[in-house]
Amino acid sequence: MTSRQLGFLFLTPASLFIVMFFLAPVLLTVVFSFTNMSTATGITGGAWQVNPGAMRRLAIVHEEPDLAEALQVQAYVVDDLALASLSNAGQRQALIDELEAELIGQTFASRREIARAIRNLDNRPRSTREVNALATSFERSLVGNRYETEASLFAAIAAKGLALTPDQAEAVAEATWTGWTWTTENFERMVRVPDTFTIFLNTIFYVFTTLIFFNTGFALILAITTHYMPEGPAGWFRSIWLLPRVLPAVLYVLMWKWLAWDTGFLSSLLGQFGVPPRNWMLNDAASAWTFVIIINGTVGASMGMLIFASAIKAIPQQIFYASEVDGASRWQQIRHIILPQLKWPILFITTYQSLSLLTSFEHILLATDGGPGGVTEVWALHAYHTALSNYAGNLAYGYGAALALVLVVIGLVLSIAYLFFFDFKALVRPPRIER
Amino acid sequence: MTILRTATGLSLAAGLLASTAVAASAEDYTFRVWAGGSGPVDDYRTIAIEMAADILEREAAIRGEELTITIEGRTSFDGWDGFKQAVTLAAEAGDAPEILATSHTDIAPWSQAGIIVPVEDYVNLDAWPLNDIFPNLMDIGSFGGTVWGIPQDSESRPFFFWKEHMRAIGYSDAEIDALPAAVQNGEYTLQNVLEDAVAMQEAGVVEPGYGFYPRVSNGPDYWQFYLAFGGTIEEDGQLVFDSAAMQDFYQFFADAVDAGITRQNHIGTPWDQWYSEVASGRAGLWHGGTWHYARYTGREGLEDFFNTIQFTLIPAGDEDGAANTITHPLMYLITEQGDEDKHQIAAELVTIASEPRINTLHAIRSAHLSIARSQSDIDLFSNDRWASEATERLLPYASAQPNNTDFGVYIDVMWSNLEATWTGRKTAEEAVADAEAELVATLGDAITIR
Repeated sequence: MTSRQLGFLFLTPASLFIVMFFLAPVLLTVVFSFTNMSTATGITGGAWQVNPGAMRRLAIVHEEPDLAEALQVQAYVVDDLALASLSNAGQRQALIDELEAELIGQTFASRREIARAIRNLDNRPRSTREVNALATSFERSLVGNRYETEASLFAAIAAKGLALTPDQAEAVAEATWTGWTWTTENFERMVRVPDTFTIFLNTIFYVFTTLIFFNTGFALILAITTHYMPEGPAGWFRSIWLLPRVLPAVLYVLMWKWLAWDTGFLSSLLGQFGVPPRNWMLNDAASAWTFVIIINGTVGASMGMLIFASAIKAIPQQIFYASEVDGASRWQQIRHIILPQLKWPILFITTYQSLSLLTSFEHILLATDGGPGGVTEVWALHAYHTALSNYAGNLAYGYGAALALVLVVIGLVLSIAYLFFFDFKALVRPPRIER
Repeated sequence: MTILRTATGLSLAAGLLASTAVAASAEDYTFRVWAGGSGPVDDYRTIAIEMAADILEREAAIRGEELTITIEGRTSFDGWDGFKQAVTLAAEAGDAPEILATSHTDIAPWSQAGIIVPVEDYVNLDAWPLNDIFPNLMDIGSFGGTVWGIPQDSESRPFFFWKEHMRAIGYSDAEIDALPAAVQNGEYTLQNVLEDAVAMQEAGVVEPGYGFYPRVSNGPDYWQFYLAFGGTIEEDGQLVFDSAAMQDFYQFFADAVDAGITRQNHIGTPWDQWYSEVASGRAGLWHGGTWHYARYTGREGLEDFFNTIQFTLIPAGDEDGAANTITHPLMYLITEQGDEDKHQIAAELVTIASEPRINTLHAIRSAHLSIARSQSDIDLFSNDRWASEATERLLPYASAQPNNTDFGVYIDVMWSNLEATWTGRKTAEEAVADAEAELVATLGDAITIR
C-alpha cells in the first residue's frame, strides 16, 4: 500500500462521518423537498390501496366517477372458485360441503354479514380468527386492502370482473398509490400561500434585530467593557453571561415565562402600581418580539463575547501603551485599535450567528410557539410545525423539507454576501512581506 | 394488513386448520400501549389493557396453554403533538408500539400509511362486548367501510355558565335551569353569549377579559363554532370549506375581543391557570369538555358542581346553524408491528378492555361518557350524576370530526387564521380569504369551497 492510499485509509472514518452527518441530511432535505411525503404516504415506500381518498382522486382528478364507485363496492361471494381454493388449501371437507349446500351463489355486502352466515353453519370453525379468515377468503372487494404490487391490484380488479382500458388502468394505479411521488408543488404552494411572505418578513426581522443588537452588538460591548475591567471581575462577569448558553433551553425559557406570565413576577410587581396583570410574553406583537429577541439574544451574545474578548487579548499590549502615551482616549483606542483588529472575528460571528439564528427555533417554540396569532412564527419554526406537528396525525415531511431547503439556500447566499461585504480575500491575503 | 387479504385469509384459514389442536406451548408477548392526550386520571387507558391481559392469561391457562403477556403502558407525552410525533416516527423506524389509544382522526392517514391494521380482521363485531357499543361510535372508528378501531371512550364538549354570575345579571334560577333547553331550541344563541358576558363585566362580577373564556389552544372545540354558524366540515367524504360560516365564526371571536370579554392575548394561557380560573368563578361563560368535570371537582377543589355551574350544548350562532357539540372519542388501534398472532392477541386485549365494567372504571375516573349501552346498568356509572346527565343532555346531539387524510391540513389552516383574527393581525374577511387561498393551494380538488 502506498503512503497516498494509506492517507485515504486514515481519512475514511472522518469521511464517513462527514457523509453521514453533514452531506446526507442536506441531500435528504433536497430529495424530500421534491416529494409529497407525509405520514400517510410513509417515507420508505408504499402500496396500492382502494381507500376513500384514492377513490375521490379517481373520480375528480381522473374523471372516472363510475369506475371509482364500482371499485368501492364491497362483495363477498361464495362460488365454486372460492370453494375450490379452500379445498386446495386443505380446508375440512365437511365444512366445504356445508358451505356449498347452504351458501353457494350467495353474495354478501360486508364481511360482517358473511361471518354471520358462517357462524350459523354446523361445521363452522370455532374461533373468531378462523371465521374471519374463512370469510375473507370469499372477498371480492378491494376496499381497504393494501396491494404490494401493481400487478396484484390489477389481478384483484380482474377477479372482481372489471375490465380496465389502458388509460383507466393508469388512472387507477396513480390514484391508489399510497406512497410518495415526485413533485414541484411544494414550491408552488409556498408561493401561493399568503402567510409565507409574512413568515419570511418575520424571519428577516428576527435574525437581523437579534444579530445587530445582541449577537454582535451587545457581544462587542461586553467584550470591550470587560477588556477595560480588572482581570478577576472581568472573568466573573463573562462567566455570568455564559449562563443562558449553558442552561437547558427548557429551564431557561421557563424562567422567562415565570417572569412574564400574568400570574408571574412582572405582573405582580407592576400590580403594585395599578397596572392590570397580563401575559407579557403573549400580550401583543411588540411584547412577544421583545421577549423572543431578548431570550435569543442573551443566549447568543455570550459566544460573540468570548470570541471578541480573546481577539482583543491577542492585540499586543504595546499598542495600547503607545496609544496612551500619545494621549488617546478610550473611545479612540476602541475606534482605531480594537475595531480594526476585530474585523475578522466580527465577520465570523456575523456569518455564523446569522446562519445559526436562521435555523434555530427551539427558544421561540418554547416561549411563544410562534404566537400570538403567528406574529413570531419564523421560517425554521414554520418548517418544524409543518413537518413535525399536525393535529390529525398527518405530518407533512415533503413540504417541511421544502421549507427547510429554502433556509439552506438563504444561508448559502448570505454566506457569500458576507464574504464579499467583509472583503474576505483581503483578510486571507498573505502579508506583503511574504509575497 | 398485508398484500392481498383474500390470499392471506386463505392461507391463514388453512394454517389455522392445521393448528386447531393447539399444542400446549409457552408463549410470551410484550405489548406496548401508548395513550395520547392523557392526564393523570386517564391511566385506565393502559390499566384496562393490563386487566384484559390478566383475563386473557387466565383463559389460556384454563385451556391448558401457557400465555404470558407483559403490558408496557405509557401515557406521558409532550401533548398531542409529542404523542403523534412519537408514534409516526417510531412507526417509520419499524418500532411502533403495538396498541394505541388515539384520536379517531388518525385513522385515515395511518391506515393509508400501513401503520395500523383493521381491527375487524381479528374480532367478532357481532359478539359481546363489541355489539353492545353504540353504533355511531363504531362508525367513528370506521374508514372506507372498514372498522379500524374500537372506541376507547366517548366525550362531548359543552358550554359552561357560572350560575352565580348569571344571577348577578338578572337570570332567575328557573331561567338558568331552562338554559339547556333554550340553547337546544336556538332561543339562546352566541349573540346572547356576547351580551351576557358584557353584562357580567359591566356588573363587575368578572374582570375584563373574563366574560367569555374559551379554550386556550387548538382543538376540535373550535369546529363547534363553525358548525354553530351553519358550516359543514365534510360531505360524502369530501372536505367542505364554507366561507360564509367560517367568516361568521371568526367574526364571533373578533367581536368577543373587541367587546373586551375575551383577551386578545388569551391563546397560549397556561392550561393549569385556565382550569383554576374557570373552576373558581373568575370566568363567566366558557366552553370545555365533559372530562373537565373530573378536573374541576378533583384537582381544582370545586365542591358543588351542579349548584355552581350550568352546562349546555354550544349555542347556535345564527339561524343557519344549530346548537351542537362534538365528540372526539379515542380509539384503540392495533399497529402493524409484529405478526398476525400478535395482532390477534392485541385485538382480543382491546376487546376485553372494552367490556362495560372495565370501561366504566375509565369513564367514571376520568369523567368520560360511556361507549356501550349496558354501562348504564352498572352502578358505578348510573350512580354518577355527571356521567348520566351529560350523556343524556349532550351525546344525542354530538357529531364527530371526519376521518379524512387531508383533514389535518384543514385543521391547521382553520386554526392559524382564527388565531390571526383573534389577535387582530387579520380581519375575519382577510383571514377567510387567506384560509381559502391556502386550502386551494394545498388541497386542490380535495376540498370544496363554498
